[in-house]
Amino acid sequence: MKPHQLILIVEDDEAISRLLQLAFTQQGHRTLLAKNKQSALREIQTRSPDIILLDLGLPDGDGKELIRTIRSQLRIPIIIVSARSDEEEIISALDEGADDYVTKPFSTNELFARVRSAQRRFLVHNTSSSIITCDVLQIDIEQFTFTKESLPIKLTPTEFNLLKFLMLNRNQVLTHSKILKEVWGIGYQHEMQYLRTYINALRKKIEPNLTSPTYIQTELGIGYRFVCNNPN
Amino acid sequence: MTNIILIHLLPVIVIALRGDIRSSMIVTTLSIALLALYIPPTLSLIVHEMIYIWSFIIFYIVGYIITIQAKRIHLNSMKEILYHTLSHDLKTPLSSIMGNATFLVETHPLDPALRYKALSQIIESSRQMNRLISSLLDSARLQDTQTPLKKEWCDLQDLIALALREFRSDVLHERVVFRIENDIPLFFGDSSLLMRLFVNLIDNALKYSDNAKAIEISITVSKEKLQILFFNECPPIPQEELDNLFKKFYRAGNTADISGSGIGLSIARDITRAHHGEIRAFSSDHGIRIEVTLPILKRPASLDMETL
Repeated sequence: MKPHQLILIVEDDEAISRLLQLAFTQQGHRTLLAKNKQSALREIQTRSPDIILLDLGLPDGDGKELIRTIRSQLRIPIIIVSARSDEEEIISALDEGADDYVTKPFSTNELFARVRSAQRRFLVHNTSSSIITCDVLQIDIEQFTFTKESLPIKLTPTEFNLLKFLMLNRNQVLTHSKILKEVWGIGYQHEMQYLRTYINALRKKIEPNLTSPTYIQTELGIGYRFVCNNPN
Repeated sequence: MTNIILIHLLPVIVIALRGDIRSSMIVTTLSIALLALYIPPTLSLIVHEMIYIWSFIIFYIVGYIITIQAKRIHLNSMKEILYHTLSHDLKTPLSSIMGNATFLVETHPLDPALRYKALSQIIESSRQMNRLISSLLDSARLQDTQTPLKKEWCDLQDLIALALREFRSDVLHERVVFRIENDIPLFFGDSSLLMRLFVNLIDNALKYSDNAKAIEISITVSKEKLQILFFNECPPIPQEELDNLFKKFYRAGNTADISGSGIGLSIARDITRAHHGEIRAFSSDHGIRIEVTLPILKRPASLDMETL
């Protein structure tokens, strides 16, 4: 994470906001606190924060509306901090333009990782290279080739497109419907069977251990995340 | 005659005490019909005297009142069990969190190993509490008949992998041995409930086995059903206790100090049943085997898989 960032915490629960303030201050950042939508909007206008952490269950209204407002004005990472079991809320927040999410209870490590990768995406606009490397995996988008530990691995056209989409959007949560729409096309958003089948096929080809996948991680009820710890 | 009437009232009372209104009413009707055979004109169901008609009505009233009362008592004792289990199962991890936290704040232990141990305890107990609360939330969702299951195509192996992630890796110690047939078809079910089912069964296997012993999970598939097996080594448990294991909030006799086992398994049973499946426990030579059978009610359409 870049040092000395201004982090806006939009959270009405005191215990959580205190923990977040403590954790980010300890890392050398400054924090702002807003307990409701109104004051969040005010802070955004006057202080222009670098990152926003947003609790969806605000007392004075819909967090999604806030995301829409922020997105229309600022290009900064928005991370959702949500209570468990409202998957649909999380999905629609992601559709509105939130960058990632953590569910309560979360570890601060997990949150820092989400913030870091969201920030990295905002820094790097477009990679000119057509080759993406993650650990021992390498995909060449122009040449339609894929290697694992430098050995070529054959992928079907759909497998290749799926893996390409995942690797282009590495370290980012991708909802089921987004992947289906991008890889299979409009009209396929609900074809979960396709997605599960091809994810399974890809995992068999790239994962060292199927019991605990390293690269393609499942976000239950939400989608998938391609984890890439040492990108080129 | 009064004696005969009283004798016929007896089965009504006995059945009514079970608190099930339908069986009470059936038994009452039966014993009235039998009674009518004694009453003149004998061996016919016709009864002329008003006094007998009244006693029949009283039969129904007695049956009804006892059933309602019995039901209320049953509910209360259920509530009491729930209350005790909950307070015990939630308070145990909470005491560990509070105890360790106050120990760290008040005594400022300088030994880093000691500090690390206390902090690890706090994290592990919080995770345990989180699992229990998630389980209770899922259970509440199952009880509510208004919200149907959120069924979708599930990859069971993936769900077990996710369930394993709910535990700290140093607790699992690479103890889990996973055996899986090559091609497990997608299963049409509620993914978050199925994951909860696996979490509870892994939790159970960890609690009832020695620290170093392996836990085996396997999935086998046949034409009509999927079978998921959980095996852990432990001292033998009598079959009658195994049969009771899935009853609401039952805890095997010799395990008073193991927290949270009761709720987990009964929720596991509820989730299996919601998928029209079965869950059973068997004692084998040196351990306990829990077997979940899920019938395949909907098959994935065969996709035209591309060739290389």
